[in-house]
Amino acid sequence: MQYKSQAVAKLYFIAAIALFAGQVLFGLIMGLQYVVGDFLFPAIPFNVARMVHTNLLIVWLLFGFMGGAYYLIPEESETELYSPKLAVALFWIFLVAGALTIVGYLAVPYATLAKITGNDLLETMGREFLEQPLPTKLGIVVVALAFLFNITMTVLKGKKTSISTVLLLGLWGLAVFFLFSFYNPANLVKDKFYWWWVVHLWVEGVWELILGSLLAFVLIKVTGVDREVIEKWLYVIVTLTLVTGIIGTGHHYYWIGTPEYWQWWGSVFSALEPIPFFAMTVFAFNMVNRRRREHPNNAATLWALGTGVMAFLGAGVWGFLHTLAPVNYYTHGTQITAAHGHMAFYGAYAMVVLTMISYAMPVMRGRAANSNRAQVIEMWSFWLMTIAMVFITLFLTAAGILQVWLQRFSSTPISFMQAQDQISLFYWLREGTGVVFLIGLILYIVSFFVGGDEKPAQA
Amino acid sequence: MTSSTPTLAQAPDSLPPHAATGGAPPGDLAVWVFIFAELLAFGVFFAAYAFTRMRHVELFDTMQLTLDRHAGALNTFLLITSSWCVARAVHAVEHTRNGAATRWLAGALACGGGFLIVKGIEYADKFGAGISLSTNTFYMFYLSLTFFHFMHVILGMVVLAILAVQTRRGDYRPGHMNGLESGAAYWHMVDLVWIVLFPLVYVMR
Amino acid sequence: MSGTFTKSMARNIFYGGTVFFFLLFLALSFDTNSALPARDNRANLTPAVEAGKKIWETRNCIGCHTLLGEGAYFAPELGNVYTRRGGDFIKAWIKSQPTGAPGRRQMPQFNLTDKELDDLVAFLKYASEINSAKWPPNVEG
Repeated sequence: MQYKSQAVAKLYFIAAIALFAGQVLFGLIMGLQYVVGDFLFPAIPFNVARMVHTNLLIVWLLFGFMGGAYYLIPEESETELYSPKLAVALFWIFLVAGALTIVGYLAVPYATLAKITGNDLLETMGREFLEQPLPTKLGIVVVALAFLFNITMTVLKGKKTSISTVLLLGLWGLAVFFLFSFYNPANLVKDKFYWWWVVHLWVEGVWELILGSLLAFVLIKVTGVDREVIEKWLYVIVTLTLVTGIIGTGHHYYWIGTPEYWQWWGSVFSALEPIPFFAMTVFAFNMVNRRRREHPNNAATLWALGTGVMAFLGAGVWGFLHTLAPVNYYTHGTQITAAHGHMAFYGAYAMVVLTMISYAMPVMRGRAANSNRAQVIEMWSFWLMTIAMVFITLFLTAAGILQVWLQRFSSTPISFMQAQDQISLFYWLREGTGVVFLIGLILYIVSFFVGGDEKPAQA
Repeated sequence: MTSSTPTLAQAPDSLPPHAATGGAPPGDLAVWVFIFAELLAFGVFFAAYAFTRMRHVELFDTMQLTLDRHAGALNTFLLITSSWCVARAVHAVEHTRNGAATRWLAGALACGGGFLIVKGIEYADKFGAGISLSTNTFYMFYLSLTFFHFMHVILGMVVLAILAVQTRRGDYRPGHMNGLESGAAYWHMVDLVWIVLFPLVYVMR
Repeated sequence: MSGTFTKSMARNIFYGGTVFFFLLFLALSFDTNSALPARDNRANLTPAVEAGKKIWETRNCIGCHTLLGEGAYFAPELGNVYTRRGGDFIKAWIKSQPTGAPGRRQMPQFNLTDKELDDLVAFLKYASEINSAKWPPNVEG
């Protein structure tokens, strides 16, 4: 570790992994509720489990991004963090606020939570992914601004590289677009229109800048390829991302009361959205093939390559599958959407955070790489989780195709619940692969506690 | 692209700097990646237009008559002229006549400005008649395609203006024309798109 | 080629392209906003509908159901439930939850008052009248 303030990232990474485990556990609960409808009812109804599942995902990814930034920025800027104390304080504030929110979801009915947290003052709750009570939303803004202040000041007093610039842009964009979560007009169409300014412009916009810069950073470290080359391709990839992704927002504006020209704009531009992901995969493999050093951390390289491939499959291919308006007419809001969501989030964002952790954690623990034994276990966890996610996606896709056929495409359509009964086999298979995913995650956590012949830190 | 068809990530770096390979396109590979991406976006839009027109031939033929073909033709002339000016500018720099090159670029900018004015008058006319993207399918395509192109003209003019300043400052000289050639290629792309767009939307029946 | 593609050129294209497409997006959003009144059923946006939307949100209905295709995929689409079932059925259904049928998916009991139920139905009626470009494909949602 070159700068001792980078060590604050460790806290963030540990929290991220713990919350990730929580997310997967609640995912398994929901998966079971899909087939055993009254499982844990009324203690944890499906809507509560889902809220916990998706909110934990967002929060652990944010922890991962922030940890990644705290690790990356000092090293890129070649200076200590502006204020490590602030970083530690923000960690605890964010963790406690997040935990209280989750406890709130689980402990009291949502309507009560809304009442006691002042939803009447400014109604922002009860919208998908933005279920957080007002104080939590405000807390996210405060933490995000203080965090941005901290890392921006660090960059300003140090060296400005392309990687840190793109990362900063992504993080600032994340904070700015989150502000739209406070806009909730009574007009449902407008509500939905601007809701996507948070959700889409996050995951298919500014988050990809964060993804690109974290990946570029790790690739420089593990391959030793010239920074100029990697940073140039980072720019090319994020350009393609925003050029296709911003207007690509239109693929959410087909059926929510917005004008119908979005069917054309959205289809054309989102059809091009796989291009940046494809470029990212080619880029990652190319850099690794042209590597100028043999970094002892093979696990980190595996995660980096995996991110490229899985992001392309999940976000690129599975996104393209249902993005054209005539196809989306039938698949909108079915298990196809769920299939795409799972693989895209895992492939792009979960995996890039795990890549960063895989590279940085050994360094923060005073070695260049973990022992071979630990790395082998980590690689096992990589394959178990990744293959499980591929199968989860395939089963959900199969369920979705059947659902579309039975409920929407057939000349004698059947009702939603009748269709769900017909496809329950695939939900069972999904739940089974979900358990495999959990085993992979447990192995991942175990890999942190395996000793052996650790590779000494590099000079 | 180049004859050896290198992979996306290798090409620009595997080439030696300032390699004047015979027959290779001017500018740089990555600029061509963007130009092809842009042409792809326009191409998909054009295909969508053609496909939709097949299903609503009457509507499209009727609505096409409401467009001002003379304005479209004038704009075609303006863009082709400006493209020619840009080509002259590149030629001039190759012969180290940067002053002339700057004037050619200014001429290209003037033609581009003329295009914007003519198109602006057309838009004002249509908007004044209460026409919008939601009027009908034809106007949805007409406005989407032309406005998307209109914004490309503006961006292209920003690029040309920067190139003109740099040329005047003497940043480009024979053998060091990468930026100029790349920007010129982009402007020719903007021109090319209009040369397809004009007959497709204004004329073809 | 007379030179290599430099990082600064890539950076300029990044900034230029981003600004370009963001402006284009703003222009389209502006047009959308002016086209919305003809489609979004705002004429029927009564106080009852607004109250109903609040009920919808504070009971986290989106955690199981979809509304115009967005939400969770655990329970039926409700954007067109007013057309599919009618107001009286919706109220009776909500009041009779949970069914308690073993092994079946369960909807919580929200203990809504009659007024709250009326408001919620008003909201769902308003939602069903939004011009959603003929989506969903059939009444089953």
